[in-house]
Amino acid sequence: MKKLLALVMALTMIMTMAAALATTDDGKLTIWTWDPTFNIAAMNIAKEMYQKDHPDVEIEIQEVLSEDIETNVTIAASSGDLSTLPDILLVQDNSFQKFATNYPEVYMDITDAYNFDGFGEAKVAYSVLDGRHYGIPFDAGTVVGAYRTDYLEKAGYTIADLKDITWDKLIEIGKVVKEKTGLPMFSGQAGSVDSIMIMMQSCGESLFNEDGSVNLKNNETLKKIIDVYSTMVKEGIYLEVNSWDEYIGTLSNGSVVGTFQGCWILSTIMSLADQKGKWDITNMPAMSNVEGATNYSNNGGSSWAIINGKDTDLALDFMQLYRNVDFYNAILPTTSAIATFAPAKEAPAYTAPNEFFNGTPIFATIVEYTGHVPSNITGAYYYDARNAVSTAITNALNGADIDAELANAEDTVNFAMGF
Amino acid sequence: MTNTAGQPRKRLTMHQRQNLVGWLFLLPATILIIWLSFYPMFRALLISLMKGKPTALTFSDPLFRNYQRMMQDKVFIQSLINTFTYLIIQVPIMLVLAMIFASLLNRHDLKFKGLFRTCIFLPCATALVSYSIIFRTLFAYDGMINAMLMNMHILKEPVNWLNSPNTAKAVIIIALIWRWTGYNMVFYLAAMQSIDYSVYESARIDGASATTQLFRITIPLLKPIILVTAIMSTNGTLQLYDESVNLTQGGPANATITMSHYIYNTTFISNPNFGYAAAMSFVVLILVAILSVIQMKVGDKR
Repeated sequence: MKKLLALVMALTMIMTMAAALATTDDGKLTIWTWDPTFNIAAMNIAKEMYQKDHPDVEIEIQEVLSEDIETNVTIAASSGDLSTLPDILLVQDNSFQKFATNYPEVYMDITDAYNFDGFGEAKVAYSVLDGRHYGIPFDAGTVVGAYRTDYLEKAGYTIADLKDITWDKLIEIGKVVKEKTGLPMFSGQAGSVDSIMIMMQSCGESLFNEDGSVNLKNNETLKKIIDVYSTMVKEGIYLEVNSWDEYIGTLSNGSVVGTFQGCWILSTIMSLADQKGKWDITNMPAMSNVEGATNYSNNGGSSWAIINGKDTDLALDFMQLYRNVDFYNAILPTTSAIATFAPAKEAPAYTAPNEFFNGTPIFATIVEYTGHVPSNITGAYYYDARNAVSTAITNALNGADIDAELANAEDTVNFAMGF
Repeated sequence: MTNTAGQPRKRLTMHQRQNLVGWLFLLPATILIIWLSFYPMFRALLISLMKGKPTALTFSDPLFRNYQRMMQDKVFIQSLINTFTYLIIQVPIMLVLAMIFASLLNRHDLKFKGLFRTCIFLPCATALVSYSIIFRTLFAYDGMINAMLMNMHILKEPVNWLNSPNTAKAVIIIALIWRWTGYNMVFYLAAMQSIDYSVYESARIDGASATTQLFRITIPLLKPIILVTAIMSTNGTLQLYDESVNLTQGGPANATITMSHYIYNTTFISNPNFGYAAAMSFVVLILVAILSVIQMKVGDKR
């Protein structure tokens, strides 16, 4: 009996200790982020720069995968105990509103505490909910059209022929390229709808209306985009592959002419040493016959959130670095993380010509593009809508009627929203 | 005063004491099971009756709304059909194959028995995620299967296996059979080895053919084990998750999504709807229970 009592007491003690360990100390910043070559590297530079002026502040950067961060936020918020979360964490732009809507007590409202002048409007919109700001922009997902100039040359084109064009023109060029080189112009993951969403945002169009209602069934722009997309797939201009690795494979094997993708794809392209000098970038094609259509869009990217009830003053002071041009200049060479902070484009690292891309100063170009990107509405049900659209497009490509499929997709999302 | 009866009244009898000690031994495990298993199940049952934001769940009105909604959810019904398709096609093929392998490997005159057993059992030592990814690579458009079939002139042009509903389902079923046949075979093999060889010997003397031996001796004696493997496979198939997520991502157009995958999506990918997800997992539980009862009634005539 005594032993049992001792056991119970020991167990209790272990649990109290574990609970004590979970709470964070004051005067120390903990940061969760996921990519050692990208956002962790950027935060490490920020840490060095900040500690130069504030040597007594301890900053700990922990590598936590994006999915794990989301799960941890879900758990902490559901249990009502935020003490397990860090002071600052990184959030994918596309799921920012889902978390801000469902767990409003987690991310700090920084509307009055942070200055958002100079950040790209479309970028900031991802972390704004009901007019309040909850996130500090990190990297841009500004879309670039990246092309293999050697293949284009073979077909009798230059990169200038692809600048400021429409999709109709692209299909025309794509047919010639396909005939001359046998290669598709683009590739993408079947069912991932990345390309569709990029084209949607380039028109400033969303899957939702301003009031949050679903906008699929009567979305004429979406129908036109799906039409362009399926034409490209059928003509062999756009190659659908089944997984992300296969998509990356088409770029590294040189089995496609180019890609239109968030600018983070450039760091993958630049890792292909044997293709140095063969690439160049320009903007993406625009939709024709659509009001407000542009050659600019966004895909991916992430923003920093500050957690309520933590060392918020210190965190805010630290995050002022993200309004500092020197900081962006310092992180660019090692991380290729491109700023959404417009003044950064004057920094020397941005204006330097890039050998890999025939001497085009790609980073300044991209920051320039960022300013033109129309904003879109993501909302809490963004992934529900994406999945529904993906199903509709896959069925349509297999011969189903697109109007019926989109009506079906709208029902699916409305069903999810009616919980 | 209490000692007047010769034996102290407050002392427990030997039997009672042993009983008490027994209960004390049971107590830690019981508490842990109740705390970690039954309590969460009970909470899940409550959550399945609720709706609203994850941090502000309220009981839904009517109370069984989440369960009623399921019947109108096209994706859920699709996932239900998919899961049952896997179940109906994959489990019988797998169990028959396992039985064939087991009887082959149970032969007394077979050489390199250990090697063959290891080879057939090895697939279930691989991690679910890694084998799913390997199958995805094998069945890729420019993958090994296409290359092989084209070199053998069976196919004229590559098949996009994972991008059409039927072939994608077939790939998942093939993967499942590859992964789990060896596992079930081990059960059969173990049971077969407990059958005395003299039984077969005397059957042979009586003139029983190999088929007769299989149907009249092996299968009847293996019945309890066949029942166990059938229940385990049914259970496992209904909870299928890794293959759907890693091999096909549920696609194309939800053609291969399983119930567990959809439950996960509802909680973590889409806007979180804990109540509905919990309700769906209870439906899976009920289905497993019903199928197990049916199998026990059909299979066990004792």
